[in-house]
Amino acid sequence: MNVAYINPFIESVNDLFTTMLGCSAERGKVGLVKPGEPSGDLTALIGLSGPVRGTVALSFPDTTARAMVGRMTGLPEADVAESLGDGLAELVNIVAGGAKAKLNSGDGAVTDLSLPTVVRGQQYAVEGLTQTTWLDVPFASELGTFTLRVTFEQTEAKKEPVGAAAGEGRTS
Amino acid sequence: MKALVVDDSAVMRKILIGALGQAGITEVGEAADGQLAVTAAGGGEYGLILMDWNMPNMLGIDAVKAIRAAGQTMPIIMVTTEAEKLRVIEALKAGANNYIVKPFKPETVAVKVQETLAKVGV
Repeated sequence: MNVAYINPFIESVNDLFTTMLGCSAERGKVGLVKPGEPSGDLTALIGLSGPVRGTVALSFPDTTARAMVGRMTGLPEADVAESLGDGLAELVNIVAGGAKAKLNSGDGAVTDLSLPTVVRGQQYAVEGLTQTTWLDVPFASELGTFTLRVTFEQTEAKKEPVGAAAGEGRTS
Repeated sequence: MKALVVDDSAVMRKILIGALGQAGITEVGEAADGQLAVTAAGGGEYGLILMDWNMPNMLGIDAVKAIRAAGQTMPIIMVTTEAEKLRVIEALKAGANNYIVKPFKPETVAVKVQETLAKVGV
Protein backbone atom coordinates (compact mmCIF):
# COMPACT_ATOMS: atom_id res chain seq x y z
CA MET A 1 0.00 0.00 0.00
CA ASN A 2 1.31 3.44 -0.91
CA VAL A 3 1.52 5.50 2.27
CA ALA A 4 0.28 8.56 0.38
CA TYR A 5 -3.11 6.86 0.32
CA ILE A 6 -3.40 7.69 3.98
CA ASN A 7 -3.64 11.42 3.26
CA PRO A 8 -7.43 11.46 2.81
CA PHE A 9 -7.77 9.83 6.24
CA ILE A 10 -5.48 12.44 7.81
CA GLU A 11 -7.46 15.22 6.12
CA SER A 12 -10.64 13.66 7.41
CA VAL A 13 -9.32 13.65 10.99
CA ASN A 14 -8.45 17.34 10.57
CA ASP A 15 -11.94 18.10 9.21
CA LEU A 16 -13.49 16.36 12.19
CA PHE A 17 -11.43 18.40 14.64
CA THR A 18 -12.02 21.78 13.04
CA THR A 19 -15.78 21.31 12.61
CA MET A 20 -17.05 19.25 15.54
CA LEU A 21 -14.30 19.40 18.16
CA GLY A 22 -13.34 23.06 17.94
CA CYS A 23 -9.57 22.58 17.94
CA SER A 24 -6.81 21.14 15.79
CA ALA A 25 -4.88 17.87 15.84
CA GLU A 26 -1.20 17.63 14.98
CA ARG A 27 -0.13 14.46 13.28
CA GLY A 28 3.14 12.65 13.89
CA LYS A 29 5.10 10.50 11.50
CA VAL A 30 3.34 7.82 9.48
CA GLY A 31 4.64 4.37 10.38
CA LEU A 32 3.83 0.71 10.14
CA VAL A 33 1.97 -1.13 12.88
CA LYS A 34 4.22 -3.86 14.22
CA PRO A 35 2.72 -7.28 14.96
CA GLY A 36 1.53 -7.45 18.57
CA GLU A 37 1.88 -3.72 19.10
CA PRO A 38 -0.64 -2.69 21.76
CA SER A 39 -3.48 -0.30 20.97
CA GLY A 40 -5.07 2.36 23.12
CA ASP A 41 -7.60 1.59 25.85
CA LEU A 42 -10.47 1.95 23.37
CA THR A 43 -10.45 1.34 19.63
CA ALA A 44 -13.21 2.19 17.17
CA LEU A 45 -13.14 0.19 13.91
CA ILE A 46 -15.07 0.42 10.67
CA GLY A 47 -14.85 -1.56 7.44
CA LEU A 48 -14.74 -0.31 3.86
CA SER A 49 -16.05 -2.39 0.99
CA GLY A 50 -16.40 -1.85 -2.75
CA PRO A 51 -13.71 -0.19 -4.89
CA VAL A 52 -11.75 0.43 -1.68
CA ARG A 53 -11.62 -2.47 0.80
CA GLY A 54 -10.10 -2.32 4.23
CA THR A 55 -10.43 -1.22 7.82
CA VAL A 56 -10.04 2.12 9.59
CA ALA A 57 -9.35 2.29 13.32
CA LEU A 58 -9.07 5.12 15.81
CA SER A 59 -7.36 4.08 19.02
CA PHE A 60 -7.53 6.20 22.18
CA PRO A 61 -6.31 6.29 25.74
CA ASP A 62 -9.39 6.40 27.98
CA THR A 63 -8.80 10.06 28.89
CA THR A 64 -8.67 11.19 25.26
CA ALA A 65 -11.77 9.17 24.39
CA ARG A 66 -13.74 10.82 27.17
CA ALA A 67 -12.48 14.28 26.31
CA MET A 68 -13.33 13.93 22.61
CA VAL A 69 -16.81 12.52 23.14
CA GLY A 70 -17.42 15.12 25.85
CA ARG A 71 -16.41 17.94 23.52
CA MET A 72 -18.48 16.59 20.65
CA THR A 73 -21.65 16.12 22.71
CA GLY A 74 -21.25 18.98 25.16
CA LEU A 75 -21.67 16.52 28.02
CA PRO A 76 -19.60 17.04 31.18
CA GLU A 77 -16.80 14.47 31.43
CA ALA A 78 -18.49 12.77 34.40
CA ASP A 79 -21.55 12.03 32.25
CA VAL A 80 -19.71 10.82 29.16
CA ALA A 81 -19.31 7.15 30.19
CA GLU A 82 -22.65 5.90 28.90
CA SER A 83 -22.15 7.63 25.53
CA LEU A 84 -18.52 6.65 25.12
CA GLY A 85 -18.84 3.66 22.79
CA ASP A 86 -21.52 5.31 20.71
CA GLY A 87 -19.51 8.52 20.43
CA LEU A 88 -16.30 6.76 19.40
CA ALA A 89 -18.20 4.74 16.81
CA GLU A 90 -19.50 7.97 15.34
CA LEU A 91 -16.00 9.47 15.27
CA VAL A 92 -14.57 6.61 13.20
CA ASN A 93 -17.65 6.66 10.99
CA ILE A 94 -17.06 10.34 10.23
CA VAL A 95 -13.33 9.88 9.58
CA ALA A 96 -13.84 6.89 7.27
CA GLY A 97 -16.77 8.52 5.48
CA GLY A 98 -14.85 11.69 4.72
CA ALA A 99 -11.82 9.78 3.52
CA LYS A 100 -13.71 7.41 1.25
CA ALA A 101 -15.36 10.36 -0.48
CA LYS A 102 -11.90 11.74 -1.27
CA LEU A 103 -10.65 8.33 -2.43
CA ASN A 104 -13.70 7.85 -4.64
CA SER A 105 -13.87 11.31 -6.16
CA GLY A 106 -14.28 11.58 -9.91
CA ASP A 107 -15.60 8.20 -10.97
CA GLY A 108 -18.54 5.86 -10.74
CA ALA A 109 -18.44 3.27 -7.99
CA VAL A 110 -18.89 4.25 -4.36
CA THR A 111 -17.26 2.55 -1.40
CA ASP A 112 -19.60 1.36 1.35
CA LEU A 113 -19.04 1.64 5.09
CA SER A 114 -19.83 -1.12 7.56
CA LEU A 115 -21.43 -0.32 10.88
CA PRO A 116 -18.67 0.67 13.32
CA THR A 117 -17.48 -1.42 16.27
CA VAL A 118 -15.75 -0.33 19.48
CA VAL A 119 -13.26 -2.60 21.25
CA ARG A 120 -12.18 -2.02 24.85
CA GLY A 121 -8.74 -3.31 25.86
CA GLN A 122 -5.25 -3.09 24.44
CA GLN A 123 -4.73 -6.64 23.25
CA TYR A 124 -6.77 -7.67 20.25
CA ALA A 125 -6.02 -8.77 16.71
CA VAL A 126 -7.85 -7.83 13.55
CA GLU A 127 -7.45 -10.39 10.80
CA GLY A 128 -7.72 -8.37 7.63
CA LEU A 129 -6.85 -8.59 3.99
CA THR A 130 -3.92 -10.74 3.06
CA GLN A 131 -0.68 -9.07 2.04
CA THR A 132 -1.69 -5.68 3.35
CA THR A 133 -0.06 -3.62 6.03
CA TRP A 134 -1.50 -1.37 8.69
CA LEU A 135 -0.33 2.22 8.61
CA ASP A 136 -0.21 4.06 11.89
CA VAL A 137 -0.45 7.83 12.39
CA PRO A 138 -0.12 9.29 15.88
CA PHE A 139 -1.99 12.53 16.62
CA ALA A 140 -1.78 15.01 19.47
CA SER A 141 -4.40 17.59 20.39
CA GLU A 142 -5.57 19.60 23.37
CA LEU A 143 -7.99 16.72 24.00
CA GLY A 144 -5.15 14.21 24.24
CA THR A 145 -3.26 11.81 22.02
CA PHE A 146 -4.75 9.13 19.80
CA THR A 147 -3.78 6.98 16.83
CA LEU A 148 -5.27 6.51 13.38
CA ARG A 149 -4.65 3.08 11.87
CA VAL A 150 -5.62 2.19 8.33
CA THR A 151 -5.28 -0.81 6.08
CA PHE A 152 -6.89 -1.01 2.67
CA GLU A 153 -6.48 -1.88 -0.95
CA GLN A 154 -8.12 -0.47 -4.05
CA THR A 155 -9.69 -3.15 -6.23
CA GLU A 156 -9.56 -1.01 -9.35
CA ALA A 157 -6.19 0.49 -10.28
CA LYS A 158 -7.70 3.83 -11.23
CA LYS A 159 -6.54 6.36 -8.72
CA GLU A 160 -3.32 8.14 -8.04
CA PRO A 161 -2.46 8.85 -4.42
CA VAL A 162 -4.25 11.94 -3.11
CA GLY A 163 -1.92 14.77 -2.02
CA ALA A 164 1.65 14.37 -0.91
CA ALA A 165 1.75 15.31 2.77
CA ALA A 166 2.50 11.78 3.94
CA GLY A 167 4.30 10.58 0.86
CA GLU A 168 7.31 8.92 2.43
CA GLY A 169 7.32 6.13 -0.16
CA ARG A 170 5.92 2.68 -0.67
CA THR A 171 5.67 0.11 2.01
CA SER A 172 4.91 -2.86 -0.15
CA MET B 1 -43.37 22.26 14.24
CA LYS B 2 -42.02 18.89 15.32
CA ALA B 3 -38.90 17.34 13.77
CA LEU B 4 -37.78 13.72 13.63
CA VAL B 5 -34.08 12.93 14.01
CA VAL B 6 -33.09 9.56 12.55
CA ASP B 7 -29.64 8.18 13.35
CA ASP B 8 -28.43 4.92 14.87
CA SER B 9 -26.02 6.91 17.04
CA ALA B 10 -27.65 8.33 20.17
CA VAL B 11 -24.72 10.74 20.40
CA MET B 12 -25.39 12.06 16.91
CA ARG B 13 -29.10 12.38 17.65
CA LYS B 14 -28.23 14.46 20.70
CA ILE B 15 -25.95 16.71 18.64
CA LEU B 16 -28.62 17.16 15.97
CA ILE B 17 -31.29 17.93 18.54
CA GLY B 18 -29.00 20.68 19.86
CA ALA B 19 -28.51 22.00 16.34
CA LEU B 20 -32.27 22.02 15.73
CA GLY B 21 -32.62 24.07 18.89
CA GLN B 22 -30.38 26.67 17.27
CA ALA B 23 -32.88 26.75 14.39
CA GLY B 24 -35.72 27.32 16.85
CA ILE B 25 -37.07 23.75 16.72
CA THR B 26 -37.38 22.33 20.21
CA GLU B 27 -40.02 19.68 19.73
CA VAL B 28 -38.11 16.65 18.43
CA GLY B 29 -38.75 12.92 18.12
CA GLU B 30 -36.05 10.30 17.61
CA ALA B 31 -35.69 7.10 15.59
CA ALA B 32 -32.67 4.76 15.56
CA ASP B 33 -33.07 3.23 12.09
CA GLY B 34 -34.82 3.65 8.77
CA GLN B 35 -37.65 1.25 9.55
CA LEU B 36 -38.55 3.10 12.74
CA ALA B 37 -38.36 6.36 10.79
CA VAL B 38 -40.87 5.15 8.20
CA THR B 39 -43.26 4.12 10.95
CA ALA B 40 -42.84 7.42 12.80
CA ALA B 41 -43.25 9.48 9.63
CA GLY B 42 -46.49 7.66 8.86
CA GLY B 43 -48.06 9.12 11.98
CA GLY B 44 -48.18 12.53 10.31
CA GLU B 45 -46.93 14.52 13.30
CA TYR B 46 -43.54 15.50 11.87
CA GLY B 47 -42.91 18.54 9.69
CA LEU B 48 -39.23 17.87 9.11
CA ILE B 49 -36.93 14.82 9.12
CA LEU B 50 -33.15 14.70 9.52
CA MET B 51 -32.06 11.32 8.12
CA ASP B 52 -28.77 9.43 8.45
CA TRP B 53 -27.76 7.09 5.59
CA ASN B 54 -25.98 4.09 7.11
CA MET B 55 -28.17 2.44 9.74
CA PRO B 56 -29.13 -1.12 10.67
CA ASN B 57 -32.47 -2.68 9.59
CA MET B 58 -33.15 -0.11 6.86
CA LEU B 59 -30.80 2.39 5.25
CA GLY B 60 -31.78 6.04 5.36
CA ILE B 61 -31.99 6.21 1.58
CA ASP B 62 -34.51 3.35 1.56
CA ALA B 63 -36.47 5.06 4.32
CA VAL B 64 -36.67 8.23 2.22
CA LYS B 65 -38.01 6.21 -0.72
CA ALA B 66 -40.57 4.48 1.52
CA ILE B 67 -41.72 7.74 3.09
CA ARG B 68 -42.19 9.35 -0.32
CA ALA B 69 -43.88 6.22 -1.69
CA ALA B 70 -46.35 6.52 1.18
CA GLY B 71 -47.22 10.02 0.02
CA GLN B 72 -45.54 11.90 2.87
CA THR B 73 -44.33 15.32 1.73
CA MET B 74 -42.51 16.76 4.75
CA PRO B 75 -38.99 18.04 3.97
CA ILE B 76 -36.22 15.50 4.54
CA ILE B 77 -32.59 16.48 5.02
CA MET B 78 -29.95 13.77 4.76
CA VAL B 79 -27.25 14.12 7.45
CA THR B 80 -24.55 11.62 6.62
CA THR B 81 -20.88 10.81 6.13
CA GLU B 82 -21.74 9.77 2.56
CA ALA B 83 -20.14 12.73 0.79
CA GLU B 84 -19.84 11.45 -2.79
CA LYS B 85 -21.70 13.41 -5.48
CA LEU B 86 -23.40 10.21 -6.60
CA ARG B 87 -24.84 9.72 -3.13
CA VAL B 88 -26.13 13.30 -3.03
CA ILE B 89 -27.80 12.86 -6.43
CA GLU B 90 -29.26 9.51 -5.36
CA ALA B 91 -30.74 11.08 -2.22
CA LEU B 92 -32.24 14.04 -4.04
CA LYS B 93 -33.73 11.73 -6.67
CA ALA B 94 -35.22 9.60 -3.89
CA GLY B 95 -36.98 12.64 -2.48
CA ALA B 96 -34.59 14.27 -0.01
CA ASN B 97 -34.80 18.07 -0.02
CA ASN B 98 -31.32 18.90 1.23
CA TYR B 99 -28.04 17.26 2.21
CA ILE B 100 -25.59 17.82 5.06
CA VAL B 101 -22.26 15.99 5.19
CA LYS B 102 -20.75 14.95 8.52
CA PRO B 103 -18.67 16.37 10.09
CA PHE B 104 -20.57 19.63 10.42
CA LYS B 105 -20.74 22.67 12.63
CA PRO B 106 -24.10 22.79 14.47
CA GLU B 107 -24.74 26.23 13.03
CA THR B 108 -24.48 24.73 9.52
CA VAL B 109 -27.33 22.37 10.37
CA ALA B 110 -29.41 25.26 11.69
CA VAL B 111 -28.83 27.26 8.49
CA LYS B 112 -29.66 24.31 6.21
CA VAL B 113 -32.81 23.55 8.20
CA GLN B 114 -34.02 27.15 7.93
CA GLU B 115 -33.10 27.25 4.23
CA THR B 116 -34.98 24.00 3.56
CA LEU B 117 -38.08 25.04 5.46
CA ALA B 118 -38.09 28.40 3.65
CA LYS B 119 -37.90 26.62 0.29
CA VAL B 120 -40.96 24.53 1.03
CA GLY B 121 -42.79 27.54 2.46
CA VAL B 122 -42.83 26.59 6.15
